[in-house]
Order: sequence, then structure tokens, then C-alpha cells
Amino acid sequence: MKNNIKVERAIKSITQEELARAVDVSRQTINAIESGKYVPSTILSLKIGRVFKKAVEEIFILESGD
Amino acid sequence: MHNKLLLPHRFKTAGWLLLSVAVLFQILVWTRGGELSWLNIKVFAILDQDMGQSKYFSFIQNNVTEEIIGILFIIGGLFAGFSREKTEDEFIANLRLSSMLWAVLVNYLLLIVALIFFYDLSFFDVMVLNMFTILIIFLGRFHYILYRTSKANPHEK
Repeated sequence: MKNNIKVERAIKSITQEELARAVDVSRQTINAIESGKYVPSTILSLKIGRVFKKAVEEIFILESGD
Repeated sequence: MHNKLLLPHRFKTAGWLLLSVAVLFQILVWTRGGELSWLNIKVFAILDQDMGQSKYFSFIQNNVTEEIIGILFIIGGLFAGFSREKTEDEFIANLRLSSMLWAVLVNYLLLIVALIFFYDLSFFDVMVLNMFTILIIFLGRFHYILYRTSKANPHEK
């Protein structure tokens, strides 16, 4: 699964730290998600979507192997 | 993400402290040789085998230096590894579990190597060390990954 959290963050101009605080997780978690090392839970995905005011599908994209 | 098996975050510092005390204590015992004589006390033994003689449920004389160090190390390690992080979340919970799995695997791989290459009294030493390796590997891996994930792009917008 791919995600464009980095892009969305740039658009909204917020740091990993700020996004982490907004969804109540550690900065490591945002970092791990951005670098594709961790797939967030449905709850966390929905929260991230809410921060960017976008549907989850616009932020997280399935890849062929998924 | 509230895992009931985890201790409050403040136990973490206490854990590292206990762990350091145990390690320092052990280094002292190694470098200065032998156990501390004033720790020679009477203890209760469920089973004590010495020179082919077995004693059950009896009080015996024993030096408790190693016992104290071992208990300090284990409690310290458990506190350090099983306390909530400052911001405990799903990724960290996941990382803790995967580190546990990793530690058990690596531990037993090392034990297989030790079984093949160490014999007699040397193997006994390996077994003593092996009591602590799961904790050590777990703590090492968990904190290394946590550190690595926190380091990448710290100031990136």
C-alpha cells in the first residue's frame, strides 16, 4: 500500500510532529507510515483522513501486490 | 491502544536504572573477582544438589550476590521493555511484539550455535548468559528501531 501523507502534509504545511499530535500518535509512527514501513490501522487512517479533510482512499492507495 | 499488560511510563526510567545497577554490580564482581562475602546468608532452598547429595526444602548457606544481580537485571529489563512509551500507540505496540518475536528467534538460533560449539562447563556459562539474552535482544532491537524511526527526517516539512 502506498500513501501520500508526505504530499498532503506539504500542502497543509504541517510537520510530522504536528500531524502526530493531531492524531494522537508518536512522531515515529507517522515517520514509519510515510516510509512505508508500517500500515496504520483503520482507526488511525480515518483520523489522518479527517486531518487532511480527505477520504481515506485519496491518501492511501492499494498496490498490485496487496 | 491501551494494553493492560504495560506499566506506566515512569517505570521505564526506573527499569534502566535497575538494569544499570545490575550490570555495574556484575562488572565489579567480574573484575574484582568472586562474590561479596557479606552476602553469604542463610536461604531457603526447595532443592539443593551438591556433591551428589540432594536436600529438599531446607535452609542452606549461600552467597546471594549472583541472585541479587540476576533479579535486578530481570526486573530492570522487564520495566524498561514493558512500560508504556511517552506516546504509546499502535506502531509502538506492534514494534514491541515484533521485537519479542525477533528476540525469541535470535535467542534460539544462538542457543543452537552454542549447543554445537560449547561443551561442559563452558556450556554452563552459555546457559547462564542465555537466561538473559531474550531480554537483551528484545530491548536492543525495540529501542534501535524506535531510535532509527525517530531519526529519519526530523525537521522535514
